[in-house]
Amino acid sequence: MAIECLVLGAGQQVGKSCVVVSMNGKRIMFDCGMDMAYHDHRRHPDFSRISEYGDFDKALTCIVITHFHLDHIGALPYFTEVCGYRGPIYMTALAPSMLEDYRKVMVERRGEEEQFTSEHIVECMKKVIAVDVKQTVQVDKDLMIRAYYAGHVLGAAMFYTKVGDSAIVYTGDYNMTPDRHLGAAQIDRLQLDLLITESTYATTIRDSKYGREAEFLKAVHKCVLGGGKVLIPTFALGRAQELCILLEDYWERMNLKIPIYFSSGLTMQANMYYKMLISWTSQKVKETYSTRNAFDFKHVLNFDRSMISAPGPCVLFATPGWISGGFSLEVFKQWAPSEMNLITLPGYCAAGTIGHKLMSGKPSKIDLDKDTQLDVRCQIHQLSFSPHTDAKGIMDLVKFLSPKHVILVHGEKPKMATLKGRIYSELGIRCDDPANNETVCIPSTHHVEVGASNTFIRSSLNPNFNFSKMSSEDESDSRLKDGKFMPWLQVKDERAAEGILVEEKGKRAKIVHLDEFLLMLGEKKHDIRFAYCFPINTDNLEDTKSTDVSSSSNALSVSGRSSWLPMLYIKLSDELSGGNIQYFGEQIQVESFSVSLCLKDRCPYRIVDSPPNKCEAVFFCCAWSIADEKLAWKIISILENRNYGTL
Amino acid sequence: MDRDLPNSSCEQSIRSSSENPAEDSLSPETLASLRSLVITPSTPDTTISSIFQTLTRSLQLSRDPLVLHHTLKLLSDLASYRPSLSSSVSELVRSHALLSSDSTRLAAESLDVLASIAEREGTPVDLDDRSFVSLCFGPSVSVRSWLLRNAERFRIGPHVLLTTFLGFTRDPYPYVRKTALDGLVGLSKPSVVEDLDMIQACYCRAVELLLDTEDYVRSAAVRAVSAWGLMLVAFNLKTKLYWSDNLFVKLCSMGRDMSMEVRVEAFDALGKIEIVSVDILLQTLSKRVLGTTKEMGSFGQCPAAEVERSASSVAGVLVHGLEDEFYEVRKSTCHSLRTLTIISAEFSEKALNLLMDVLNDDSMFVRLQALETMLHMATYGLLKVQGTHMHMFLGSLMDGNMSISSATRKILKLVKLPNLETFKLSVDGLIDNLERHPQDEADIFSVLFHIGRNHGKYGVSIINEVFEEMEPPSEGKLGFDTARVAALLVLAISAPLSHGQHACNIPPIIFSYAVTLLGRISVALTDVMNQDTLLAYLSQCSRSTRFSAMEFNLREDKPHLPAVTIASLSHSSNEINSTVGSPFQQGEDGAANLQYQAIREPMEVASLHFGYPLEVQDEVIRSMNLILAKVKDIWPLIQSGFTNEVLRVLRSFKEELATFASGSLRFVGDVAFALQYLQVVKQLAKVWEHFLPARKLCSGMGELDIALGKLETSLREMRSRFTGLSLKQELQILELLLLTFTLRLSKVESCCQVASLKKLSTTASHVESILKLGSIEPSNFMSEVSKLSYLTRTSSFGAPCDPFLFKELLKYFSLEQFVVFGTIGHIKAELVVPDNDAENHLPFVPRLPVGIPCEITLHNICSENKVWVRMTMDDESTQFVFLDLDHFGSSDEVRKFTYVVPFYRIPSALSFILRICIGMECSFEDVPSVKRYGGPDRELTYLCQEKEVHLSMVGEH
Repeated sequence: MAIECLVLGAGQQVGKSCVVVSMNGKRIMFDCGMDMAYHDHRRHPDFSRISEYGDFDKALTCIVITHFHLDHIGALPYFTEVCGYRGPIYMTALAPSMLEDYRKVMVERRGEEEQFTSEHIVECMKKVIAVDVKQTVQVDKDLMIRAYYAGHVLGAAMFYTKVGDSAIVYTGDYNMTPDRHLGAAQIDRLQLDLLITESTYATTIRDSKYGREAEFLKAVHKCVLGGGKVLIPTFALGRAQELCILLEDYWERMNLKIPIYFSSGLTMQANMYYKMLISWTSQKVKETYSTRNAFDFKHVLNFDRSMISAPGPCVLFATPGWISGGFSLEVFKQWAPSEMNLITLPGYCAAGTIGHKLMSGKPSKIDLDKDTQLDVRCQIHQLSFSPHTDAKGIMDLVKFLSPKHVILVHGEKPKMATLKGRIYSELGIRCDDPANNETVCIPSTHHVEVGASNTFIRSSLNPNFNFSKMSSEDESDSRLKDGKFMPWLQVKDERAAEGILVEEKGKRAKIVHLDEFLLMLGEKKHDIRFAYCFPINTDNLEDTKSTDVSSSSNALSVSGRSSWLPMLYIKLSDELSGGNIQYFGEQIQVESFSVSLCLKDRCPYRIVDSPPNKCEAVFFCCAWSIADEKLAWKIISILENRNYGTL
Repeated sequence: MDRDLPNSSCEQSIRSSSENPAEDSLSPETLASLRSLVITPSTPDTTISSIFQTLTRSLQLSRDPLVLHHTLKLLSDLASYRPSLSSSVSELVRSHALLSSDSTRLAAESLDVLASIAEREGTPVDLDDRSFVSLCFGPSVSVRSWLLRNAERFRIGPHVLLTTFLGFTRDPYPYVRKTALDGLVGLSKPSVVEDLDMIQACYCRAVELLLDTEDYVRSAAVRAVSAWGLMLVAFNLKTKLYWSDNLFVKLCSMGRDMSMEVRVEAFDALGKIEIVSVDILLQTLSKRVLGTTKEMGSFGQCPAAEVERSASSVAGVLVHGLEDEFYEVRKSTCHSLRTLTIISAEFSEKALNLLMDVLNDDSMFVRLQALETMLHMATYGLLKVQGTHMHMFLGSLMDGNMSISSATRKILKLVKLPNLETFKLSVDGLIDNLERHPQDEADIFSVLFHIGRNHGKYGVSIINEVFEEMEPPSEGKLGFDTARVAALLVLAISAPLSHGQHACNIPPIIFSYAVTLLGRISVALTDVMNQDTLLAYLSQCSRSTRFSAMEFNLREDKPHLPAVTIASLSHSSNEINSTVGSPFQQGEDGAANLQYQAIREPMEVASLHFGYPLEVQDEVIRSMNLILAKVKDIWPLIQSGFTNEVLRVLRSFKEELATFASGSLRFVGDVAFALQYLQVVKQLAKVWEHFLPARKLCSGMGELDIALGKLETSLREMRSRFTGLSLKQELQILELLLLTFTLRLSKVESCCQVASLKKLSTTASHVESILKLGSIEPSNFMSEVSKLSYLTRTSSFGAPCDPFLFKELLKYFSLEQFVVFGTIGHIKAELVVPDNDAENHLPFVPRLPVGIPCEITLHNICSENKVWVRMTMDDESTQFVFLDLDHFGSSDEVRKFTYVVPFYRIPSALSFILRICIGMECSFEDVPSVKRYGGPDRELTYLCQEKEVHLSMVGEH
């Protein structure tokens, strides 16, 4: 059975995320995002590919949303309210409450027309079923989903989905390194057929964040010590909280008394979300929560417009982040002309915003509009913290999960191709990076349900390990196998392997124990043995006797045939060092190899009929099992060589 | 008589069961009553022996596994409560253990009984290897893992164990795999295994299990890989580097595991590796795969893909470790850097850049570990501090946490600064530190002295710049009160002892100024010289430099002229004696000699002479110290049992001290501290009574426990309710705590042995950590205790130790003198509920919370302290309310505020009394006592007397 993966969005692009996965008869849509670069139908995923006739309820089993960013959830109200999808929608508890705020921010910030109305959201959210982190939800009899912590933003989750034997993980956006307020992504080592992962930074590898944090703190500290004001333009959620925790912690340690302000009510409200949803934050925040909520900022005060021109140092968080307008622009106008002040900018600012202008070189003057020009003398500090994992993090996750197949989404095409190559070459995992509206088919695990016999179950309860030692001849070539070191001594426990799968017509398949299997067939166990009969020159043996065996054996009358075997034994013991040679009177045994005197005139295993010197030769018959083939031929050659050597 | 009733009924049941041998199973009720008889000490021996017979029959005849299980349990109890029977029990169970091959579970239980009897008697259990292995191969998984876990108790031959453990790493049950791996770790000793093949097999098997699906198996696998890898590394010198690299890469690959425990194990293990190729090591600091790693052959003759795989698993692992979400991982990474930085200088330089950034970590433990690693690097001369580091590094001096700033100062004592600029920054940082934390003066002076001596040239140039600032402002009156000037003086006087020849440039008058601070400086320099030496040194410098000034000036022209300076002499005490003369010869047995210490071994030179006469600015402090000195002298009296005499003397001391309390507000904290100390000594004297030979028989057990409990509480208060304690003082208190626990443990009959043992070992490890911090010599008693506590910690079964061992310890103890410096603050609270007494009640409305207006005054409580209001009702039900100090005033010294404390659990009564009190969490209780929500995490120390609040229902007044 195959897993079909239809990429409706974020295929070789960073934009609307939407992937529809069909596995074992279930069809799940992961994320339902909006592309904000477009204003026409291209902003939404092409839902018609799911069902031509718009019968989405039948076509989809459920929708799973990873987090509340618009490029992951934006098209959902459209899909439910306009396209009419009525099936279940799963997302983390946070997303519904955030969506409304987020919509407002987007509308206010961009001054765009509303893409969906508040009523749409309310209606849409009624269909949502909330999932908590690590919660397992049985959607129906066969389909199970489980949310894992993704780190990217408050309430972001990765989803493990299992239908029958096929299992996949869809990551959404995630972060593999923790920051001050969110933890790193966390998942169990699962058996997966497919991993669908974001690849925003498919080739970037980031250094430690510590250095950047230290620089930021140093710049802020220096500025306020010199009596300057620090403006930190941010958006409401994410960086504001992270930086504020960082500053608070530093303020606390250094015992600084300079005020930190939050400008807008919105940020305060965002902090309220954080306080409510403490289980989605980092370990540190969770640990301290019982005595002090890390988001109850001790040093943070509300900022009043009248304070803009008040004297004295301070730190101010103001929205929006790119200084594209609003309050941060207002403050910027006032503070930029003074050399004492400092503006910190995020790593990315959209083109056309003042933030973008400040980042590209250090301009001394900025045109606010065509009439006004502003002197910029303040210091500028750039900060690049990203909530997305870097290439190393993607590789680490793929390596940890070791799925059978990887699909990359949410990234730029050329970079994805590089990462795809790395995943294949370094980890040996097949990887695809489909474009939008492409379908990838991958084979999935197919399990057959079988019964097991009691004997088999009992045999697998008892330990059954054994040790094997590679023979010394294997030494040179096989110790390094596939570049991995193989020790001589190895241990195996083959309980499970000892069962035999029996599929009889009209009956359920069953695993039975080896002994039972023979019984079922009414057959006996066959053991393949090799046999060989060869002559040994007795003259030669006499020599051995006189040289090797001391006078005591000489004293015995040695003409009897019975004494030849002990002589062989002595010879073998001499030449075959290390082997476990046993002498049983009638035969000599080395592992499974046995040799005894052949008294038959016509032995079926005799190849050479008569030795050169007929009367002096004695035939020996030997047998061994296939495992000891090399050993056997070694022994035979020892015995024979001696024989021919004297000729 | 009442006691006899159940006994007789029991005996009846025993008898009845013995009369009916057919009825071979004992009912649960019978078993329970048998148990109560077994554990009651007063049960007569005849009853016990008939119980034993009953149990014997039950064991032999019963087939019911549940009954057999309980029977075995009872036999085990019997053996432990009646040592005389233990050999018969052991005999019985042994014969049974061999019989009961049909149930491996019961066989294992029997073995447990045998083993615990044997452990009590110190004899081995005879379990032959064959039966052990055959039991292991039984189908029961829990028995299998129990046997593997307990294998050590049965003295199975190590080779048999090794093969068994190795085999069971293949078990399909993850817990068995984990136990097997843990067992392998225990066997990884060169004395057990000498065979290379075996070592390789174990190592490779453990490596395979690094990919296990279960967290705990992976984390056991990391331990096993580390243990066997190190064996492999040590096996052959030729292959040492190859295997070390191999092991290093394997461990690194676990640094990005998703389980925190696994990561901690991995980084702990990395810290044990002593040798590794430098290019691999450098790769751990860069998340990008470096070119050198790809090219170099450090990964052996592996194929290119394998090299790439190894390189990418190593890449940036330490960086990841340092920025991990869990402080445990970050701390472990910092710790592992201690050994790794020794391997390569290039690596240590790069790692230092990261470590400096770690000083910004939000966890105090991580910051402290980073500093300890730096200190370690400094001791090995690897700490190459640069200008860019200074902001972070000196920032730690300002850290609100005492141990962080103190650790930073310790590093500063050793660090080699690259240029004048960084030196200036450091000195400024230290002065700033001194101004903010005057209580650390001694430590800061000591750092200034060392840093000045290590950087003579820079020190001289700073002094010359600021010399004018140090001149007294007006003629006649010397005012060196400002911290800054005092600090600079200390810096100045260190210069002549530096290794360079810069002493000449220090104006000699400075040495005369320094004499006025003699006491303060000499306290700081106890690790270098004592007060007499210091005085002699200062006066010599102030005199002789004036004379030798010309000599120094001349020296430039005639470099070969023998110039005698203190600096050149300081290396050898003999020369000082001969040239400088008398002042240095005052000291007896060479104590007056300058102790010169090489920069490499500063740790070894740790001594504290407490015999110096204090320079006393204040009469009160001096008198208090005099009293405290006398307290020390009464120790022999306590020891000889003159308890009444002692108590009388202590009372008089107390009265004397109390007069100071009324006299001066300035030293109110110190007086309170001294009073508390007297209280402790008084309690100690009372406890000691019980340990006198004469009183041995008549002392009641409960009485001693109560006395010991009181002593412990007083010591806890002493520890938690005072601020500004020096390390030495804290150590003295801890020593007394150790004494308390030792006393408790040395009494056989005293209860809670395990808890006391645990407390003892936590306190001992705390003492060790303080000793590591400061240059204080531990007392004999402390070192003996820590030895013993180490033994008990490492003993495998955690069995309570022999009381006599602890009794032995007591003879090492003697009371040391406390010295106060006038720096101690007393943490206390005052709580007033205005207008409330037995007459005037607060009204409440049934089922609604009531607010209790409290006027609270807090003294010396800083915002880190967690303060709670406890409210208790008559039925002992308690409610806690947290006081967030940030809301109540910013001053740490005195906060006064009114707070309405909400009380929710209104009882259904017309009126009731609420007892209300303020407590603070003990910050030093490392392990939270009880984790309960809505209440304090740690034990509380109460800061004021309980107040009664009277409440009555509205209209019911």
